[in-house]
Amino acid sequence: MKKDRKASVASTSAVSQVLTKRQGRREFLIKTGGVLAAGAFGAVPLRGWAADPVNIGALYPTTGSMAQIGVGCVAAAKLAVEMVNDAGGIKSLGGAKLNLILSDVQSDTTVTRTETDRLITGNKLSAIHGCYASALTLIASEVAERAKVPLITGSSSDQLNKGRTYTFTPFARASQFARAQLQMAKLVSDKPKVAVIFENTAFGTSTSNGLRELAPAEGVEIVMFEPYSAGFTDASPLINKVKSSGANALFSVSYLNDLILIVRTIKQVGLNIAINGGSGGFVIPDFYKNVGKLAEGLQGVAHWNHDMDPNCEKVNAEYKKRTGEFLFEYAGGLVAQTFMIADALERAGSADPQKVRDALSTLDVSSGFAAMAPGGKVKFGPDGKNVYGHPVGVQWQNGDLASVFPKEDARAPLLKT
Amino acid sequence: MWETVAQAVINGLLIGGIYALVSIGVTLIFGVVKIVNFAQGEFVMIGMYISFFLANQFGIDPLVSLIVSMPVLFVVGVLIQHFLIRRVLGPNDMPQIFLTFALSLLLLNLALMLFSANYRTVHTSYSDEAFHIGGLYIPVAKLIAFVVAMLLSGALWVFLHTTDLGKAMRAAAQNRDVATLMGINPNRMFCVALGIALALAGAAGSLLMPFYSAYPFVGQVFVLMAFVAVVMGTLGNVIGALIASLLMGVAESLGIQYVGADSGLIVVFAMLLLTLAFKPTGLGGKAR
Repeated sequence: MKKDRKASVASTSAVSQVLTKRQGRREFLIKTGGVLAAGAFGAVPLRGWAADPVNIGALYPTTGSMAQIGVGCVAAAKLAVEMVNDAGGIKSLGGAKLNLILSDVQSDTTVTRTETDRLITGNKLSAIHGCYASALTLIASEVAERAKVPLITGSSSDQLNKGRTYTFTPFARASQFARAQLQMAKLVSDKPKVAVIFENTAFGTSTSNGLRELAPAEGVEIVMFEPYSAGFTDASPLINKVKSSGANALFSVSYLNDLILIVRTIKQVGLNIAINGGSGGFVIPDFYKNVGKLAEGLQGVAHWNHDMDPNCEKVNAEYKKRTGEFLFEYAGGLVAQTFMIADALERAGSADPQKVRDALSTLDVSSGFAAMAPGGKVKFGPDGKNVYGHPVGVQWQNGDLASVFPKEDARAPLLKT
Repeated sequence: MWETVAQAVINGLLIGGIYALVSIGVTLIFGVVKIVNFAQGEFVMIGMYISFFLANQFGIDPLVSLIVSMPVLFVVGVLIQHFLIRRVLGPNDMPQIFLTFALSLLLLNLALMLFSANYRTVHTSYSDEAFHIGGLYIPVAKLIAFVVAMLLSGALWVFLHTTDLGKAMRAAAQNRDVATLMGINPNRMFCVALGIALALAGAAGSLLMPFYSAYPFVGQVFVLMAFVAVVMGTLGNVIGALIASLLMGVAESLGIQYVGADSGLIVVFAMLLLTLAFKPTGLGGKAR
């Protein structure tokens, strides 16, 4: 706070020096002072006659390594709050407006802890949503649990459902993604023979082991299970192996650079194989920008997709108008989360976080913006997990992500190329 | 069976061509100036970014931008020799090691600052194409890279063995003092050697761009292979480095095929160990 003031004083005096030539200092101060005051107190109509706004905290990494995603999340969070407010706010609270309080967690676990703490102690919050990466959300959730403020998140770590009473996860859990991936392989062929290649550090090893454990139960045969070292110069020998394994589907647990090489090499070899790249960085607009046309036909899994129902498409259209890109998995999910919070506030008839938490725990929606989830239904179990939660299988088609699995969520047929 | 082996050998030879360009640069600098250039990989990275930006801004094909990246890096090499390396040439090796290592760190972090850690790819019409012969395939972009790499290596050999400047350079490499007595300015020779070595790194960068992503750490991937090739092919021996690079490419490829996708490098290093154990001077015999 102190720093801010200093900075603004410095900048105004610098500007004033430039301007004194044309305008009097007094005139300048009156003008800038007015603008500054408006900024500080909020240049909004007097709210005396309306109900007090309800504060919602939003924790996203808008700087650091995850900044690009975080900025998209903030745009979606603002859009969601506007939608709730334009529709009349929280009626049971006299039309109270939602007031979004943003905080940058800087893609850093330590900052996440202090920022969550600061956000909760500095503001009267009714609920929080965040933080994109599971590693960050786990920390924010710990802080929120202690402060008894409900936190709702799209992060997929199963740990978020263990021993927590104020944390709610309306979307698919990490453990469900592997199963969905295996089931998608069965769409490609009646007798799926899957080659699993994965980069040989923690991320690749744990994900691929999950796939291998579930495969027999799903009736999927794994014909190749091969670790590789990330950052290779040439994918051809690896693809050579995939080719000789006789697989008809390939699960690649890879970082972006390796995946690009793998996809290119498969095309050069002329190998006809369905590629599933999993979730995360694979299902954001940036992936297509980097990979281009080669991404066409690639499959993945997501906890949300923008074509699932007319409501999703409506939000997507608005988001696209503002940012130029389609509404990606995480950002779409948090719009739904905002409406879940609004629904809870409506039923609680109070901005008290404890009452909002209780209302969230009895949430049961199957229509409207709050039900924008695969399956179209949200109801929380005692562990804070959506009892209907499951991932949606997606495929890149014409530069867009289309939902193709499971049948109830599919909006386009799976292309078998 | 034979098809799999043949394909693995083809893949290895093609990538070996790129390793060769990098390692020839390292070995040339070592042979002539007697320093180890730890920053060679970063110049490959600079070559890639030059090609990337020319392709991205002006739509110039990465293979055409070779005629930009090579001269630019040649000049950079001459300047580095003249203003930096010349000052640390002396009986003590340490300052030279520190200098090139510092240069590597500086360039790497500069690239991180300017270009961020994102992967940049250039998509050309031939990026995903391949010639199919029987059950085998040869990717077009890699074949072009290989052919150009071999042509450049050949041109360098001809230059070193037939032109006066090349002969003078080899003379300065063999014995600096005697060369000076014969009227050769060694510093001039060193400048040319650095220039040529960096131009080759730039060429490697441009040739890689149609099928590999540019990112700040990309040089590290190639420089490791280059150092192994340089040692295996006898320090300072251009032909040795070339042959060792191709061998290593093939060894890596066969290793991935028959040992495991994360053990390609194990085969390469096993080869290096065997070479050092049985022929400690390297496969090339002596520096030439």
